[in-house]
Amino acid sequence: MRLAAFLAHRLALALVVLVGVSLVVFLCLFLTGDPAALMLPPDATRDEIQRFRAAMGFDDPWVVQYLRWIGRIVLDGDFGTSLRFGRPVGELIRERLPATALLAVVALAWSTAVGFVLGTIAAVRRGGFVDFLVRAIALSGQAIPVFWLGLLLILFVSLRLRWLPTGGYGEARHLVLPAIALGAYYMSAVTRLVRASLIEALDQDYVRTARAKGLSEWRVVVRHALRNALIPVVTVQAMYFASLLGGALVTEIVFAWPGIGRLAVQAIQNRDFPLAQSIVLLAAAVFVVTNLLVDILYVVLNPRIRL
Amino acid sequence: MMRFSRSLLAATALAAALVSIAPATGAELVIGRPASPATFDPGFLKEAATLVDNVFDTLVLRDAEMKLVPGLALSWKALDDTTWEIKLRPGIKFHNGEAFDAEAVKFTFERVLDPAAKSPTISYIRTVAGVDVVDPLTVRIRTNGPDPLLPTRLSRYPAYIVPPAYVKQVGAAEFARRPVGTGPYKVTEFVPDDHVTMVANEAYWRGKATIDKVVWRPIPEATARIAALLSGEVQFIESVPAELVDTLKTSGAADVVDVKNGGLTIYLGLKSAEKPLDDARVRRALSLAIDRKGLTTDILKGKATPTGTQVSPFDAGYKDIPTPAYDPAAAKKLLAEAGYPNGFTIRFQAPRRYISSAEVAQAVVQQWAAIGVKAELEVPEWSVYAQQVPAGKQAPIYMLAWGSTQTLDADAALYAILKSGEPYSTVADKALDALLDESRKTIAPDARAAIFAKIQDHAAETVPLITLYREDSLYGKAKSVTFGGRPDARIPVYDIRVVK
Repeated sequence: MRLAAFLAHRLALALVVLVGVSLVVFLCLFLTGDPAALMLPPDATRDEIQRFRAAMGFDDPWVVQYLRWIGRIVLDGDFGTSLRFGRPVGELIRERLPATALLAVVALAWSTAVGFVLGTIAAVRRGGFVDFLVRAIALSGQAIPVFWLGLLLILFVSLRLRWLPTGGYGEARHLVLPAIALGAYYMSAVTRLVRASLIEALDQDYVRTARAKGLSEWRVVVRHALRNALIPVVTVQAMYFASLLGGALVTEIVFAWPGIGRLAVQAIQNRDFPLAQSIVLLAAAVFVVTNLLVDILYVVLNPRIRL
Repeated sequence: MMRFSRSLLAATALAAALVSIAPATGAELVIGRPASPATFDPGFLKEAATLVDNVFDTLVLRDAEMKLVPGLALSWKALDDTTWEIKLRPGIKFHNGEAFDAEAVKFTFERVLDPAAKSPTISYIRTVAGVDVVDPLTVRIRTNGPDPLLPTRLSRYPAYIVPPAYVKQVGAAEFARRPVGTGPYKVTEFVPDDHVTMVANEAYWRGKATIDKVVWRPIPEATARIAALLSGEVQFIESVPAELVDTLKTSGAADVVDVKNGGLTIYLGLKSAEKPLDDARVRRALSLAIDRKGLTTDILKGKATPTGTQVSPFDAGYKDIPTPAYDPAAAKKLLAEAGYPNGFTIRFQAPRRYISSAEVAQAVVQQWAAIGVKAELEVPEWSVYAQQVPAGKQAPIYMLAWGSTQTLDADAALYAILKSGEPYSTVADKALDALLDESRKTIAPDARAAIFAKIQDHAAETVPLITLYREDSLYGKAKSVTFGGRPDARIPVYDIRVVK
């Protein structure tokens, strides 16, 4: 019963967040002007622009436009029609989602695996040269902007070595470079997080007890300390995944990856209201839902968290 | 700063990568462009018609010398001031076998002109009042008033001829995804934001194209586009940034096609109804204080040409107006005469949109500072700026680019930015308005050219806006590809050759 109340409370909060996000997104685009002039050719007259604006409903008050947009989503599941593509927004997003999901999953998978290994090694060898090296890698990984890393990969791996294509989509070889570029940041973040929480765990009493029992160091680290160091990592991973699905904007542009991120950038550049709003709303929804799931997962994973 | 470090990085790394290109396969061509098309419906484009141009034909074509030549029309002539008779080419079929005839022409125009269709490109053919079918191979186009530009309008979008039966059968949405035209290439695959594949139309009326297959790939990032060219993944790219031209040239692996005057004309718009820009002496002073040659040489690395007129040398109606002199002393004197001996402070907007445009704007600010004018520069985000300008919400001085590449006529270069009341014009000059009105009513080419010459002289004298320079358009190509570049910015794959 307490779980049900907890869930209802979280759901209500999630709803408030979504409404807030939708309002902010809508107003941000609305306040900076409508796309009528951008959609018509430069030699259109003021009358033609005005007629077009009226026909598209751009001259209605913002409340009317907002309610019309939200109303269609809630009542019909209709996200509207993209102004630039002239096609349903839902269809466009569905088309691009697999590419972004694939990139996100692969980037997250390798960055998590490598991050765990590096973080664990660094924690165990705390203060040593290996630790220094890992920390240097992790720091650079988080400091290097993704567009710069992406271009470097293109110039050296694609152009100099000719190992992989500069961009595109469809085969495994197209996936490697964008996944590396996108995952580098998360790999570094995971490394640092695993290192920090493992170091903390290794100082706990139960680890001393485990060692005192005469367990091998490997068993102490993996079975006892690492398991407890997992919780903050899980939270952060979930957040990363949500943010990745929201769009790996820069990576997708550098590598010409046909995903949601590129769609979002185009939508914003073209002031494609229905498309831009829906993508941001979707990204927010993914965040909110992921957060909710993490909260629930916590309760399951960690009996110390009481409702 | 980000822009600087990125191009520096690209330049050094590209220079380091001494590579040779993979040989092109002769019958195939992969083209990299910054953007993917959103639609293939030529009546409803919100972007350049580059791809559509290879799939559809217009009644009138432009040859490599930019002359209007018969396309799907065999001939056209004006019967009177407002009626044109067009004889159509017989025996032409669309990719699906549907016959091309007068009904197709009528259908093509009427679907764009229909107000309910809300076509974004209606203004390009707004002078068309109606299309009458005389017989299957003859149409008459009626215009609202005399329109000297009608044959030009027939040579560009939205006037690409579409197949009526197919469009009605599949509907507009499906047609935009699976286009059928009469052109040299058929679209076989269209994956938005990923690629478009076209194969040569065996039955093309000008003969089958020599390149069998074309793949168009969107590569938004310029450095990635150039890397793709140098690695041989693509053999042709559009939009080479000026700062990477030398890198591409010295790589030895690819060529740069530099079409002088092929790009947009960059100018500074002036809200000439407001003080102090309402005084022609102030406007002339601002113009004289700018070192155009310095801008194009130092900042644009020679990839632009200083000019004194908005009209391009390729346009009908061009007059060779000398580039305004760089004369800060004279500028200072003019300002003093106008009552501003100590200059003034004014807002100035310039988007980061054209070749090094924000850097150019910074240089202009410094040059104006030398005559005492303090310009407060803002670099607005393009999508916001682009709708501020036609709404009249921009700063009193604003950088914009205008082009006539699709029309190649002075009308396209001048009317929209000089005529009072037009969305992109902040000029209010009755003498100019009268001349511009007259130009639209005059059909005889010589008389039109004389009017445009007067307009350009008048603009040089009164400086309703400050014309700076005309950008080159820059392409990159593998050494095996022959393409000279066109002033109208089209990429007709039909005319490209790949040599082994």
